[in-house]
Amino acid sequence: MRASIGKDAQVQPFSRKEGPNRETKAKRIAYLFVLPSLLFFLVIVAYPLASVIWDSFHDKNLLNTGDGRFVGLANYVEVIRSEYFLQAALNTGIWTILSVAGEYVLGIIAALALAQGIRGRAIFRGIIIIPWVVPVVVAGLTWTWMLTPDYGVLNSWLVKLGLLDEPFYFLGEPDTALLSIIIVNIWRSFPFYTITFLAALQSIPRDIYEAAALDGLGPIGRFFKITLPQLKGVSIVLVMIHIIWTSINFDFIWVMTEGGPVHSSETLPIMIYRFAMQELNIGLASALASLLLAFMIIGFMMYYLYLNRKSDHRGGM
Amino acid sequence: MVESKLSKRVQKLLTYIVLIAFSLFCLFPFLWMVITALKPADEVRSTTPSFFINNPTFENFQHVFWNTGFLTYFKNSLLVGVTATVLALLFSVFSAYALTRFMRFKGVKLVSVTMILSQMVPPVLLLVPLYIIMMQLGFLNSHISLIVAYTTFTIPLCTFMLTSFFSSIPIELEEAAEIDGCSKIGMICRVILPISIPGIVSTSLFAFVNAWNEFMFGYVFINDDSLRTLTPGLSLFKGLYTTDWGSIMSASVMSVLPVVILFLYLQKFLVEGMTAGAVKG
Repeated sequence: MRASIGKDAQVQPFSRKEGPNRETKAKRIAYLFVLPSLLFFLVIVAYPLASVIWDSFHDKNLLNTGDGRFVGLANYVEVIRSEYFLQAALNTGIWTILSVAGEYVLGIIAALALAQGIRGRAIFRGIIIIPWVVPVVVAGLTWTWMLTPDYGVLNSWLVKLGLLDEPFYFLGEPDTALLSIIIVNIWRSFPFYTITFLAALQSIPRDIYEAAALDGLGPIGRFFKITLPQLKGVSIVLVMIHIIWTSINFDFIWVMTEGGPVHSSETLPIMIYRFAMQELNIGLASALASLLLAFMIIGFMMYYLYLNRKSDHRGGM
Repeated sequence: MVESKLSKRVQKLLTYIVLIAFSLFCLFPFLWMVITALKPADEVRSTTPSFFINNPTFENFQHVFWNTGFLTYFKNSLLVGVTATVLALLFSVFSAYALTRFMRFKGVKLVSVTMILSQMVPPVLLLVPLYIIMMQLGFLNSHISLIVAYTTFTIPLCTFMLTSFFSSIPIELEEAAEIDGCSKIGMICRVILPISIPGIVSTSLFAFVNAWNEFMFGYVFINDDSLRTLTPGLSLFKGLYTTDWGSIMSASVMSVLPVVILFLYLQKFLVEGMTAGAVKG
């Protein structure tokens, strides 16, 4: 602090009439104001983050049988070699890609429909946002109930329509468990896209559309030639955020299947939970968490590089 | 104009069809939840489920209300949610003020960057160390663990939301208050906060809904049934009352009702907050 006082005084000849220590005082207040939030961050985010990485290289578990010694990459090797790792990694990919793709498509369709100036759009908007407000647990339970083979309403409908010969245990069969949860996840998450796209759509200037219509571009052509390119920036941010949120989602899968049957809907976050809370092996759980973290950082760097390249490109023009 | 009246009408019709389809898709699970909750046990367990309830009843609600842990979970969630919201807001008001007015200081800029970064850190990755920290501090099986976690994870978003509201306040107002001899804190309480009540409302709503809906920490940190919050409590209902879907659905109805009412009432605020968060986050 002390060293910077002199520097500040030099930088601000214009505030001399207000007294040289006014800025110092402001600085003290500023730091005082951000301090509590910073403390929370340090204790609950930064320190745990560091200890995840530290623990991933050590033999540590909650039963105190581990001796806490440094084991190098042994935890990582064990995680990758563990029986269900590859499947969980694959499941995480499927879960993330299908969820985000489905959310995107539904989100944009609903936003386009809401953006038309029709009567009652406020009511429709209110209804469409509701799934997003509901706790994941409630959404999961309700859909589990609708999907049950005995007495479940969806099964009964599908049988009545002749699409199924007999009720099917969607969440209890390895082939359909993950897909069913993906559909429920899409149901709950797409409203976020809709609201964001709706805001973005309203900022596209009207006259572009009018000019395009004069040029004889039909509604579909306008969508692909104008709307989609205009939404590109928002889309990238939305998709990035949701790839992260979805890939690390624990609640949905845990509430609906707990990763079963026979690990068929297990993703990496579920595996972290299993390592930590069921096998009580902190080293393994931390190694897996660190792996996920590394993937995320790589993803961010790629995104950052992409943004940089784009702005360079634009600057060049 | 360019398009014929007929194609305009077709477009309008199409829009309505799409919106009605979406509304049915979004509402149906709720509708089914409410219908199931109001059905007596023999109608819930019917092989031909129907929308029509022959003998509507509140017995599921009464059962859940009096014979299960629901009321306790509800109270716990309310306590944890409100406390976390108040704390998050208290700290966010100050950090948001600093982020609005003092971005010229390097330290403040650094804090804003760490806040953006901390929003990217998924809580599930911190589950293990947080569990150990809470254990060492003796906070496991106590509401403090949840309050601390929820406060921390909502501070960044609350700060960004409040910053966007604070930055629309003209600095002249503050200067006038300062000339009148207000201290910084007095000025925030008497000038900034009263003006930004809509912002405060939407931000606290956001923090509260976040805490109310959170599942994982509640599930892992709390083992004592008398301290359990609503979302983990509900998820355990499924194990306890496997086939009693009438009770599970009525508990679900009662736990979404406060959020949905709050939401419908303050929809405009929340939508603004969501989009602000999405753009900044």
